Amino acid sequence: MLWFHLLSLQFQQKFYLRYLEQSRYGHLLKHCWDESFDTKNIKPSMRCDDVEFLVADLEMSSLDSREGEILSVGWVVIKNGKIQLSSAEHHLLKAKKTVGQSAVIHNLRDCELQQGKNIMFVVDRFLALAAGKVLVFHHSPLDMAYLNKASIELFSSPMLLPVVDTLEIEKQKVLRHKDQVEHGELRLAECRSRYNLPAYPAHNALMDALSAAELLLAQLDYKGRDVRLRDLF
Amino acid sequence: MSPELAAIHDFLSECLPFDQLPNSVMEQVVSDIEVSYHSKGSQFGKQDLEGGLRVVRSGAAELRCGKDLLLDRLAEGDSFNLMGLNVEQPGVKATLIEDALIYTLPEIPYQKLRSEYRAFDRFFSSQRSRRVRRAARHEPVPNDMMRPLSDLMSSVILSVEPSTTIQKTAALMSESRFSSILVMIDEGLVGIVTDRDIRSRAVAKGLSLDEPVTEIMTPDPLTLLPSCSVFDATLFMTQRGIHHIPIMEDKKVTGIITASDLMLARKDDPVFLVQHISRQTTIQELKKVVAAMPDLLVQWVNAGIRSHQLSHVLTALSDAVTVRLIELAIEEMGPAPVPFSWLGFGSQGRKEQLLGADQDNALLISDDMKPEHEQWFSQLATYVCDGLNECGYVYCPGDIMATNEKLRQPLREWLKTVERWMRSPTDRAVMEVSIFFDIRTIYGDNGLTKNLQTEMLKHTKTNSIFLAALAQNVLSTAPPMGIFRRFVVEQNGEHAHELNLKKRGVIPIIDIIRLHALAHGLFEVNTIDRLEALVECKALTIVDSRNIQDALQVLMQLRLVHQAEEIVKGQKPSNYVNPASLSKIVAKQLKDAFGIVKDAQQGVKLKYRPGLG
Repeated sequence: MLWFHLLSLQFQQKFYLRYLEQSRYGHLLKHCWDESFDTKNIKPSMRCDDVEFLVADLEMSSLDSREGEILSVGWVVIKNGKIQLSSAEHHLLKAKKTVGQSAVIHNLRDCELQQGKNIMFVVDRFLALAAGKVLVFHHSPLDMAYLNKASIELFSSPMLLPVVDTLEIEKQKVLRHKDQVEHGELRLAECRSRYNLPAYPAHNALMDALSAAELLLAQLDYKGRDVRLRDLF
Repeated sequence: MSPELAAIHDFLSECLPFDQLPNSVMEQVVSDIEVSYHSKGSQFGKQDLEGGLRVVRSGAAELRCGKDLLLDRLAEGDSFNLMGLNVEQPGVKATLIEDALIYTLPEIPYQKLRSEYRAFDRFFSSQRSRRVRRAARHEPVPNDMMRPLSDLMSSVILSVEPSTTIQKTAALMSESRFSSILVMIDEGLVGIVTDRDIRSRAVAKGLSLDEPVTEIMTPDPLTLLPSCSVFDATLFMTQRGIHHIPIMEDKKVTGIITASDLMLARKDDPVFLVQHISRQTTIQELKKVVAAMPDLLVQWVNAGIRSHQLSHVLTALSDAVTVRLIELAIEEMGPAPVPFSWLGFGSQGRKEQLLGADQDNALLISDDMKPEHEQWFSQLATYVCDGLNECGYVYCPGDIMATNEKLRQPLREWLKTVERWMRSPTDRAVMEVSIFFDIRTIYGDNGLTKNLQTEMLKHTKTNSIFLAALAQNVLSTAPPMGIFRRFVVEQNGEHAHELNLKKRGVIPIIDIIRLHALAHGLFEVNTIDRLEALVECKALTIVDSRNIQDALQVLMQLRLVHQAEEIVKGQKPSNYVNPASLSKIVAKQLKDAFGIVKDAQQGVKLKYRPGLG
């Protein structure tokens, strides 16, 4: 139901447009909407090889977007069915609060985060790349909650961009064979090992983004040469 | 490159030939990489000829030409460039045999690396066999003792005609300050005269100095080839007590070498050891000399002596010990009642010994032997075999020793034994007797040995059942390579996770080459000599012969270097290595060497066991 997804996003965009236009940097998001909803760039019937994806991952200080903040972002671009390592980027963000116990997981310490970049800079860079591409996350609700929160703070509007979730694709695949998903079965590393993908060090935003990107390529390959964008939703 | 991509950087810098690139360049390489995923069964063929270097990050692939010809199996870390392969051999395709993640370095940056970094480029300039060859041919600075004589010999040749008087000859020699002179008719060598000959054969005997020089010359002197090593020449001189040797090639004298030339060339050389051995008067003293060998081995390996040279030297040492023991026995027991030949078999016979070799010997006695002589030979055998054991050449576990009555026989009995082997060549029996075909005289009458060997070869050449049984033995040990080109290691025991280089690599090659040599009736026993003779008689192509030589060289060298390391660590030298401990480039060479062994086995199967499975 990709067309419906896109349509509903466009409806919401219409609602938020007036807030966006009042916001100082709103044009950045507006440009991204224009590109991503242009059927030259994205339409449901496109072959996935022809679609450009921006695969991203965020490290946060909490699993709850109301209390946590983004600590780092990493992403890579998939173009012509290949991950372009030249597009790989990793950014640390300047944290407002201490990262506390979460440092154990993502290995980012307060002292490093003090050197981090301004959220505006990173979101600007992100939107410039996201324009005309489909966003990809492994378990997108969490990452999108943070991105939308940042977007609302900056532009008074959520991002409202098309998003593919590799975890969701994997879940559909597993549920086709059995009734329920087992605990841990959809974790990134678990999914990857089912496709004979190598083990990577986890919990670094860029390596996780690359891991998710490779997983997406594997999933696409398994769906066959002729897989269309709409088949991912 | 983002530092977060270190995992990819690390992976690539471990891969051949990226390991040859400087770190700063690797960062750019990582940024140029494109990652793609392909499920099992996908093919890269013509449509993918846009080029670029593909590195298998995970999974496995096969390179095939046409439908059937398998060129290579690629596993994690291996790379291929289809465009390049297709230039060499059109129609090469890569098929994934496992789901694979592929890193592609696009054609432009790939070509740029090749043009800028020679070491990187060399890896791709050709295919598998040539890769091994380069490894084998890459010899470090040659050791002094292994320099060819052509490096040292004097190529100014002083000669006289046979009719020249002694006086005139002596005048010519002192004029040119030469200690020897050749007697020649045109370009043909007739004899040699040295300072000493003039002294002892002319002056001391009051011979008229107007006599022709032919009266005092040594006729038909022994000669050497210019390719002989300093080691060979020194040994040759000390064993025969001569000091001047003409160097001949293609029936032409090209130079002359003297003992003093050789003195200049040697430093800490094994020749001293051989000489030293021949001066010892008790087994205890011999033992002391031999005990220094492990340390010397380490020194020689570090000095860059290659495996085939070193095994040659080690064999010369064990020969010297054997000879000295026989001489000591004769001093004690009196001279031999009838001529005999002390035979060395197996690695000693082939001149391929390394440290830790056991004894494989026998006595071949003249048919003039009478029953009462048996005791003399039995005592000789006991004396020598005990002495060898004492010196560290342990008793043969299979009792292939002269002390075994069955192996201490006159020629006619040996001939009967050979006939018996040939009559019922079961696979097992053939395996047991195969080392007897690597036969060499260590001491005594070489004519006896030649008689026996001639008879052996007469049988082997024509007995196809015997050859088929040998072939079965050759095929029974598969090279330790699993599917996906991973090493197959020992599963348990003292050497779990290790690889027996001797059993799995060296012995199979030796067996294959012995089989070919016996089938063609060749007298050579050294594996390299056999390989060269097989090319000569057109039984092997030059390419196959070289490939096998190189594979053998790689295996032997690895084994040797490893033994030297074990000695340094105070361990007993073994034939095992742990493949996980090898550098990528050595592991690659080893895989290629095993690949060549496998090909050679296929050849044996087709030739000697057609239709026998």
